[in-house]
Amino acid sequence: MDTQGTRLAAARAALSAVESRMGADRKAAEGPALALDEALAPVLPHGLRRGKVIAVEGSTSLLLALVARASKEGAWTAMVGMPHVGLLAAARRGIDLDRLALIPYPGAQAPAALGACIDGMDVVMVGQGIALSDADRRRLAGRARERGCVMVVGGSWTGAHVQLTVEKSRWSGLGAGEGRLRERDVTVAISGRSVGATRRMIITLDAGDPPVGSGGSARRAAVGDSVVGSSAVGDRALGTGAA
Amino acid sequence: MSAPLRDAAVVTVRRVVLWVPDWPVVAAMTQAGLSADAPAAVLHGRGMLAVSAAARAAGVRRGMRKRLAQRACPELEILPHDEGRDAREFEAVAAAAEQVVAGVEISRPGLLMIPSEGAARFHGSEEALAEALVTQVAEDAGCESAVGIADGLLAAVMAARANALIERGQSHDFLAPLPVGALVHAAMERTQRIEVEDLVSVLTRLGLTALGDFTALPAADVVARFGHVGAWAQRMARGEDVAPPVLRRAEGDIGVEYVFEDPAERVEQLALVAAYVAEQLDTALLAAASRCSRVRIGARTVTGEELVRVWRTDVGSRSGAFSKHMADRVRWQLEGWLSGTAAGPQPAPLTALTLTAEDVVPLGSEQSFLWGGTSGADARAHRALERVQGLLGAEGVLAVAEQGGRTPRDRVHSLAWGQEGEPARRVSHPWPGRIPDPAPATVLPVPLEIHVLDAGGSPVRVDRRLAVSAPPTWVRLQADPRDRVARAAHRHPSSGHVGGDDGPVWAPPLPVEAWAGPWPIVERWWSGEASRRAFLQVALRGEDGQSEVTLLVALQEGRWMLEAVYD
Repeated sequence: MDTQGTRLAAARAALSAVESRMGADRKAAEGPALALDEALAPVLPHGLRRGKVIAVEGSTSLLLALVARASKEGAWTAMVGMPHVGLLAAARRGIDLDRLALIPYPGAQAPAALGACIDGMDVVMVGQGIALSDADRRRLAGRARERGCVMVVGGSWTGAHVQLTVEKSRWSGLGAGEGRLRERDVTVAISGRSVGATRRMIITLDAGDPPVGSGGSARRAAVGDSVVGSSAVGDRALGTGAA
Repeated sequence: MSAPLRDAAVVTVRRVVLWVPDWPVVAAMTQAGLSADAPAAVLHGRGMLAVSAAARAAGVRRGMRKRLAQRACPELEILPHDEGRDAREFEAVAAAAEQVVAGVEISRPGLLMIPSEGAARFHGSEEALAEALVTQVAEDAGCESAVGIADGLLAAVMAARANALIERGQSHDFLAPLPVGALVHAAMERTQRIEVEDLVSVLTRLGLTALGDFTALPAADVVARFGHVGAWAQRMARGEDVAPPVLRRAEGDIGVEYVFEDPAERVEQLALVAAYVAEQLDTALLAAASRCSRVRIGARTVTGEELVRVWRTDVGSRSGAFSKHMADRVRWQLEGWLSGTAAGPQPAPLTALTLTAEDVVPLGSEQSFLWGGTSGADARAHRALERVQGLLGAEGVLAVAEQGGRTPRDRVHSLAWGQEGEPARRVSHPWPGRIPDPAPATVLPVPLEIHVLDAGGSPVRVDRRLAVSAPPTWVRLQADPRDRVARAAHRHPSSGHVGGDDGPVWAPPLPVEAWAGPWPIVERWWSGEASRRAFLQVALRGEDGQSEVTLLVALQEGRWMLEAVYD
């Protein structure tokens, strides 16, 4: 069968063969990736690469979900300047609280504290209300690249490798005075230096009772993934989950 | 069939048992400061657990209900049960016995066991040993005790209760006429005691009332019918238990104490003291050829309060770093106590400081301390966090754990990184009525006031029967006070706001799309921190008409508060 998928796989195999023959293996240069939840794999096709800066705007849950799997598999994490984060939600998503350090109010020492964390931790999450100049940001991103630390930043970050913006989130389960929050679909716009044109996709961030990572949500995310569009794409065209 | 077993030379350790009768009540009376001849009893559950001699003379018995006991003896002092107190108070008795013999096993609070042979040789005879023990305990610990010497555990315990000395090889004959109920006295733990009590009740109903009858049964049949409890009981009854007493050796703590000449009030006074004390502890540990993985920092204030905190230290393998590392932690802890930022009593000047090493291991045999092995990544992370703590202070870096509670904020417990402490509330308790999952990803450290309005624009109320006065239709959030547009809108007369520029700046109302609740949480009504709250989950349509904002809000004392955001 000559589907689009097999053609793509063949092309990728050919490319990697050429790369390895020429000694220009991109994977080796970029360092190994940390583990990432399958449901979020379509959002970050290259995975949670060490040394990259990923900015997440509009959803703390998405930020936590990106880090959860890596933390569960043994990565050390720190949250700098995030006094508002719901740690119970972090624990429910799978972040190991034993290997999590919280630096809620770094104050004027923010660049130094962040630098120390980048040196020692595998993943550093950075909050919004933190005093950093653009020069600090550049220096810290460089340090992260050198040390192989993943920075996951809440809000925007100039020069982020991947910028994820949650444009729309929709909970289901609430009624007029009855029910409770159950499921949530979010529309994520993916842009940034190492992405190219902006893509949009819908992922299920909270899937009923089983957590993120069930087969259903992965399939759903894959449906959204095949749609690559410009910013004018409406909800309906995106696929299944926007009702 | 049992004869060959009995004839086989089972060499049991001859042991001395020192028994303090009615230990729980003796310990409770010591702590309550009652004299030994006062009638008192310890109440546990529904019955009396232990009864003092005076109360027994008045007719109070073990297992008696509280009301019956009070009828028998109206001046009876009823004391609460506390296993920790029993064990703690018994330390004095064990210490007294250790003056006479080299090592003792505390089988349970109230019962000490000592291997007799060496000690009896040292004191001349078993009688002399028994006398020395009883005298020393009476002098040092101030309580009456009984001593018995026999082969095997059960025989020795029963001999102590009879204040008797059983000759070698006579244990079996001594035990044979005793009732099977005596087996309970050889059970040292509560679960084991319950199992043995069941066994005794079955044996009694089978007509086996004396231990001699029980030991005459074939061992294989006893195992087949009663399992391992039966086998254990028969071994005990025959005096064939071979496990020797597990002796403990008394060793002093490794620690240092520093007494301030003048009570210390300012942090600046303490920096040098912290370094000096840490250096002293390092030297003491080196002298004992050990390392420790935790240090207990204690201080006494002028008001007589004892402050204690335990800090983890993982620098055992990094020699030379210990004293500096510890000095920082001591300084942080003292700063916390003096400034009152650490949770605890009112800050007060300190009069004394103690450092005690815990989890002491011989030098060179350190285990990997935390989370399995201290791999390179773990050590790197710890060092990084210590550096940040050096920059920001101890409370700048927090370690978190989940704890029990009902609201998202209550369910997280945080402590300074490296400090050790138990969460205040257990996760395993049921916590009925807690806010349903999913947990909100943003929880405000301090709730922020918001307006939840009905269609007519008046605040929504929740009455005592949890009926909502009207469906919530509009929600007004607080705007950022630095936002000039919002401030201008707030000042405009059409905002409904009258008066000066003070108070929070309110954003324009957002329409409610869906809501659920209210969930009532009424907590700790018996205490000063009582709270009555009703929670709602509210989904709003955002300002652009597209995005959706989902909030957790609570009504408390007539005001709506924003507790968390599901973002």
